[in-house]
Amino acid sequence: MAEQKKKHKKRRTATRAAASIGPMVKEFIAGTVRAQREGAQKLAYSFIVCHHEEILRAMDVLPIWTENFAGVCGAKRDAERFLQRAESLGFSRSLCTYALCGLGFDHWREELGEMPPDAPWGGQARPDFMISTGQILCDPRAKWYQAAQQYMPDVPIYNIDLPYPLYHPDRDHREELPYYHKYIVEELKGLIAFVEEQTGKKMDYERLWERVRLSDKTWNLIEATYDLRSAIPCPMGTGDAMNTMVPINFMMATQDAYDFFLNLKQELEEKIKKKEGVVENEKYRLLWGGGLPSWFALGDFNYFNSKGAVFPAETTYRMVAPIAEMNIPKTDDPVEHLAWRWLGYWTFWYDKARQRKGGEPDVERLINYIERYKIDGVVMHEAFSCRTWHVGLIWQLHQLAKIYKPIPVLRLGKDGNKTQAWRENPSLVLESDIIDITSYSEVDTRNKIDAFIDTLESVAKSRVD
Amino acid sequence: MKCVMGIDMGSFRVKGVLWCQGSESVTFECPSGGDFEATARRAQKELLLISGRSANEIVGVLSTGYGSKSVMFADETRSDIACQCIGVHALFPSARTVIDVGDLHSKVFSLDENGAPLKFLLSGNCAGGSGRVLQIIAKVMNMKVEEIGEVSLKSKKPVDFSTGCVVFAESEAVSRLAEGVPKEDLLAGIHRALSSQINSLAERLGIEEDVVLVGGGARNPGLVKTLREVMGRDILVPEGPHMTAAYGAALLAGSLYNFKEM
Ligand code: SF4
Repeated sequence: MAEQKKKHKKRRTATRAAASIGPMVKEFIAGTVRAQREGAQKLAYSFIVCHHEEILRAMDVLPIWTENFAGVCGAKRDAERFLQRAESLGFSRSLCTYALCGLGFDHWREELGEMPPDAPWGGQARPDFMISTGQILCDPRAKWYQAAQQYMPDVPIYNIDLPYPLYHPDRDHREELPYYHKYIVEELKGLIAFVEEQTGKKMDYERLWERVRLSDKTWNLIEATYDLRSAIPCPMGTGDAMNTMVPINFMMATQDAYDFFLNLKQELEEKIKKKEGVVENEKYRLLWGGGLPSWFALGDFNYFNSKGAVFPAETTYRMVAPIAEMNIPKTDDPVEHLAWRWLGYWTFWYDKARQRKGGEPDVERLINYIERYKIDGVVMHEAFSCRTWHVGLIWQLHQLAKIYKPIPVLRLGKDGNKTQAWRENPSLVLESDIIDITSYSEVDTRNKIDAFIDTLESVAKSRVD
Repeated sequence: MKCVMGIDMGSFRVKGVLWCQGSESVTFECPSGGDFEATARRAQKELLLISGRSANEIVGVLSTGYGSKSVMFADETRSDIACQCIGVHALFPSARTVIDVGDLHSKVFSLDENGAPLKFLLSGNCAGGSGRVLQIIAKVMNMKVEEIGEVSLKSKKPVDFSTGCVVFAESEAVSRLAEGVPKEDLLAGIHRALSSQINSLAERLGIEEDVVLVGGGARNPGLVKTLREVMGRDILVPEGPHMTAAYGAALLAGSLYNFKEM
């Protein structure tokens, strides 16, 4: 069952900050294993993007980000043996491969009563409880921990449901917000009660406020930091952002996350001053417009770089938005604030989308980034096993091409006359998976990238502005 | 005399074009085999042999295709889509959409009036949407892949294939054969299934006329017919449709070395 492990070359990063992430994650994972051994802190299996980090941190609960651990296995090209184990337990390969990897790992660890041999970075610690979620309509997020409970029947689960109003071009979502808000507050309070029961501690609401304020401050700092990437040449690309997503998604509500972005901001400002870009001769600026990356193939970002292409922005894992623009109502209750922030984030692009004919929030975000970061082309990745994040990506590209044509060109008519026309940004859809390496072909991927670069070149030549 | 060479190192066959200034171009093709580098050298040697030219007359070699990076003697490498666009544009200046049915993928791309690529889409990782499915079915039926198109044209009642997956298509073909379904109906069915997949790829990209079909799949009259029917439009097919990328590569090499017309 064990796959042949080959030493995989480390990816080059452009920033010092991104390079520091690997050891940080390693230490974080080792820290959870230590904490479990020492028993001083309670550990909770958790999913990212649930706005509950503040609650967990305020109650000294250490989250174990199960998606992160699966991603680490993928990045180390060591997921296959856990995927195979999950398959042998009857789980289909077409389910979320993060979930499969986690389930394969958990089953192995529980069977042995210790970490599986050569567990990546020391392995994933056994949790005291699990917090699943129906968030973003992801079925594995609700079902994964239920399945894991087969191997850990003594570990309780709390499921947190975090909905938000769907977009409608002719309906103001604000009318529905109070209902959603009330519901989410109840869900978060339910979580607090559950954690209180599990830890035997009472929530200190002053401490919770401190954590919430720290997160808000970090959100704004991340926005300011990432905005620096609009500089030409671009000082940091998406390849690095796939590292710097760690403090955004796994360390929120900690001083470390805030300090990390302070350092990164400073580093980017220095690079901009020195006109130091990710690539020496920047030719194309690309937007990573959607899709989780193939963690085992992050070197593809370097391949783009070798062609003079850089990614100044990405929608993936940028799970923050400017707080000041959300019009969050004033409240004394940190839980209420968290619920408003949740709704503010997910409805952030609604008003802007309504102002454009055929507009749609996700597409509006793409357009905003294309303009803000001076983008020439859009790249997406369809990871087959994560339907949640990937359903609709192609539709977004189609809609984008339909409603947004920023490139002026001359078109030869049937009468032989040339007239001015506008065309869409070129786009590329890569296909593979988050951690299932069997779905990936380096030759195919790079051939596709080559063809895309040729397309960008010819579109650039045909521009008439 | 100055010559340039275009090599399209496909996953199934290698195609080469040698173009010497002031004379007709010569072509060569053979199976790619397992050793792309050696096959590319063989193509180079054969082209020189056929044309009666010597290696030092070649001023530039441009490689393209799946194994383009294995053509160690190439001076330049370009994507097959860029080369196809140039090759197709030279043959059909009115072409705006190109469908390339290759061994590993089907590709659809649009090009502008100068033969520059504008956008493209590839069939997914499953070989069900590419020429490979025809090879697999030919093997199941104990036929040569070159024969199956002609045979499929005799069908009166094409079989409905319920899947686009190559593995399932293979097992479905086996069970249909066991049921006694005539070969031609089975083959017509698989051609129709592939055509439907290619059509939906083209619809996703957006079709602009004229549409040109190239690649190894375009040599199959059964596929050309069903694709025309499924797409409901005329499709142009050049002579030697599998050579257009190599031809485009030679043209591109020629333009890099300031050659005049081929
Ligand atoms: S399906 Fe996607 S969002 Fe859901 S758990 Fe898996 S990776 Fe995460």
